[in-house]
Amino acid sequence: MVEAEKADCIEFKWGKKRGVGGKKKDVQFYESFFYDGVDYTLYDSVYMYKEGEPEPYIGKLIKIWENADKTKKVKVLWFFRPHEISNYLGDEKTPKNELFLASGEGVGNTNVNPLEAIAGKCNVVCSSKDSRNPQPSDEELQEADFVFYRAFDVGNCRILDKIDEKIAGIEVKFLLNRVGNQNSSGVPKLDSNKKEVSGNAVVIDDTRILAKKESYLGEKAASSSGVQFDEVAKTNERQVLVEEKLKVAKASGDLDDRSCKKAKVDDLAKASYDNRVKSTQKLRHDSNDSSSKAVAQITPAAEDKSRPKLTKDPQETNNALSEKPKPDEKLANGKFPEASLRQPSEEGSKTNYKIQEPTRRPATDRSKWFRGLPWEETMQTAHEQGTLVLLQNLDPSYTSAEVEGLIWQVFKQSCTAKMIQRTARSSPHSGQAFVIFQKREVAEMAVAKLDEVCLMLSNGRPLVGSIASPCFPGKQSTFFGHLTINKLRIHMQREMKEAVSTSHCSQPNTLEYEMAMEWRLLQERSDLALRKLRQQQEQELRKLRATLKSKLEL
Amino acid sequence: MYYLIYEFDVIGMTLVVKANYDGMCFWTEKLGMSNLFRFWMYCYRLSVPSYMDSTSTAVADYAAFLEKVKRTVYVDNLSPQVTESVMRTALGQFGTVKNVQFIPNYTGPKNIPCCALVEMECLRQAEAVVSEITQFPFMMSGMPRPARAFRAEVEMFDDRPIKPGRRIQCRWVDRKDPDFEVASKIKRLVRKHAAEDLFLLQQQLAQEEKLAKQQEETLKANYKKFTIIDNVVSDGTAPGLAKFYNMKAFDS
Repeated sequence: MVEAEKADCIEFKWGKKRGVGGKKKDVQFYESFFYDGVDYTLYDSVYMYKEGEPEPYIGKLIKIWENADKTKKVKVLWFFRPHEISNYLGDEKTPKNELFLASGEGVGNTNVNPLEAIAGKCNVVCSSKDSRNPQPSDEELQEADFVFYRAFDVGNCRILDKIDEKIAGIEVKFLLNRVGNQNSSGVPKLDSNKKEVSGNAVVIDDTRILAKKESYLGEKAASSSGVQFDEVAKTNERQVLVEEKLKVAKASGDLDDRSCKKAKVDDLAKASYDNRVKSTQKLRHDSNDSSSKAVAQITPAAEDKSRPKLTKDPQETNNALSEKPKPDEKLANGKFPEASLRQPSEEGSKTNYKIQEPTRRPATDRSKWFRGLPWEETMQTAHEQGTLVLLQNLDPSYTSAEVEGLIWQVFKQSCTAKMIQRTARSSPHSGQAFVIFQKREVAEMAVAKLDEVCLMLSNGRPLVGSIASPCFPGKQSTFFGHLTINKLRIHMQREMKEAVSTSHCSQPNTLEYEMAMEWRLLQERSDLALRKLRQQQEQELRKLRATLKSKLEL
Repeated sequence: MYYLIYEFDVIGMTLVVKANYDGMCFWTEKLGMSNLFRFWMYCYRLSVPSYMDSTSTAVADYAAFLEKVKRTVYVDNLSPQVTESVMRTALGQFGTVKNVQFIPNYTGPKNIPCCALVEMECLRQAEAVVSEITQFPFMMSGMPRPARAFRAEVEMFDDRPIKPGRRIQCRWVDRKDPDFEVASKIKRLVRKHAAEDLFLLQQQLAQEEKLAKQQEETLKANYKKFTIIDNVVSDGTAPGLAKFYNMKAFDS
């Protein structure tokens, strides 16, 4: 019926600019770009596909530019595959996904290629135990497409175990794993800092940095700022490292002085964002794709201002503001009514609740920026700390804010809640929500109390609480129902992308249509079964509720 | 009705709060510096519209939200490889896509298909999407499992505003209360239902897997069949045979 073919026009958009150069200053260097559905950044590893070669080449983008005649070029530092340097490896058996970084002086180290030769992005992790290399976690090593820890010198034709300080004019820092690669091992030891600082940090960052940012997509900006404060909130070593990075930025050649500081800081933030995205194994490709155009421009001024503020405040706000980096309004929410409205304590719960309602509203737009990525992370950290609770049997029409108000009313604890979104499968009788308390003891106390003594909500609903064990969407590869015929994986890289963007309605006289009908049939059957189950559940519930002696009015 | 006055003395750097009733100050307290910061934040918050002067905006917001819900389509049975841009291109055929939000799955088993909320520009487009996808099997990012589309519902959104005028009440029911027994039973029942749901889901996943495998076999068989036919026609065997038997098939 209707087909959306994008065969001929492959999407391309430049990302962040880096500076100008060339003899006539007419060459524009870039730091990132969006090409054919994928985001690329400087120092990303990419596949370069050559006609006739069974396997693509793998290289690292070390320079990206556009000439005056609008041709786009990239300079690529190559990785060698084991079979390419098998002569020098001798009898050694290397794992299939090991690569060797090209280094030294000579031909074959790097090449300039047209940007259009890029066939895809590649996840290459450096597993070297070198002190300069941020160590990857086991998870990352597992899911990396390739690993490397050695180099191959093209001048001497030798394998080097230690990677040089500078290869092809690029500092080794950029060639190794990116700094700011946050693993779960990194988080717990910094949590104590986070707790005190995070509240303020986000607030200050929000009001200052968000106000000054020129970001296209708030989501990217906010997560960058989140990352920013993350880094700054850590101990001094991190600050020193950032300083170092700025120095390094000045050192690397052919960059405009003015933009270099910005560029490095941004790169850092972006890089850590990229890595965080990779390391949390996003199912959400959407956030990846849509953030292609957005690069947060954090003015160094704003960043400097925020730093001194942050170091001062931890002493002052020790009364544990809740630990999640979610919108400030919600944060301060739980505490303000307490502080300023100490007088009217009887109406305490009601008034608090009232005040929570409106302050959610101004934040609604901003809260969209913080959605998705940060929530999943806070949930993960909460889960590891044991503060995550799952509430069931709520009225499905409750909102997250109402749940928080409820918890406040009942337990006098502030928390973050998130109602689980309803899908076609969820039960219309029982709504669920995740609640993150501040401490594990509080969470356990709440669950225990809900267990022993029933908390009845209106309409005969006793609340059910339990320590939650959520499942995080990982790299899901099992989706039943999508079939393919040919298994040629290499050629599929580009073809698959094109096929992927072709969505269409099936025509009645094809095999595809018949199979689709079979799926429809199965779907109908499942729906019927689900409906029957729901009816039965409703009946059971109604019977029990009828025996309740006292009823709360809605 | 009393009100609080916050006085900040810039020279002395002190913050004093006074409570006034009827024009008379009946209570005053000096706030410590630790509270200073909270005070600033509170002022910041006051500078944005507060509850007192905008119950009407609550209603307006909610109405706007409901309108958005009407324009939104809930799409189900998506492969995990579907990205936002794919969704946009796919549903962009029916109109303008304003927003795409995937609903993350934190509770269920890992293999269930993904779902998303797609906000269209107007009600008519949303209806068009739903009707087309329901009538004809719509393929996204792979075949042959079709995607499903429904009109969205309020509870599918996670950032929804509160329905104005709603109050939540609750009470504790302890052992002495006559309703305790029933309440406990209901709690058990809720847990049982959740388990039933999960079980049903797993059964259905197993069925889906079976169907997928079956179809894969069929597909392979058909593919083989068609390649054989293709080969036979292209290398001349079929036309040759046709000539031999005086049939008018395969005349190129």
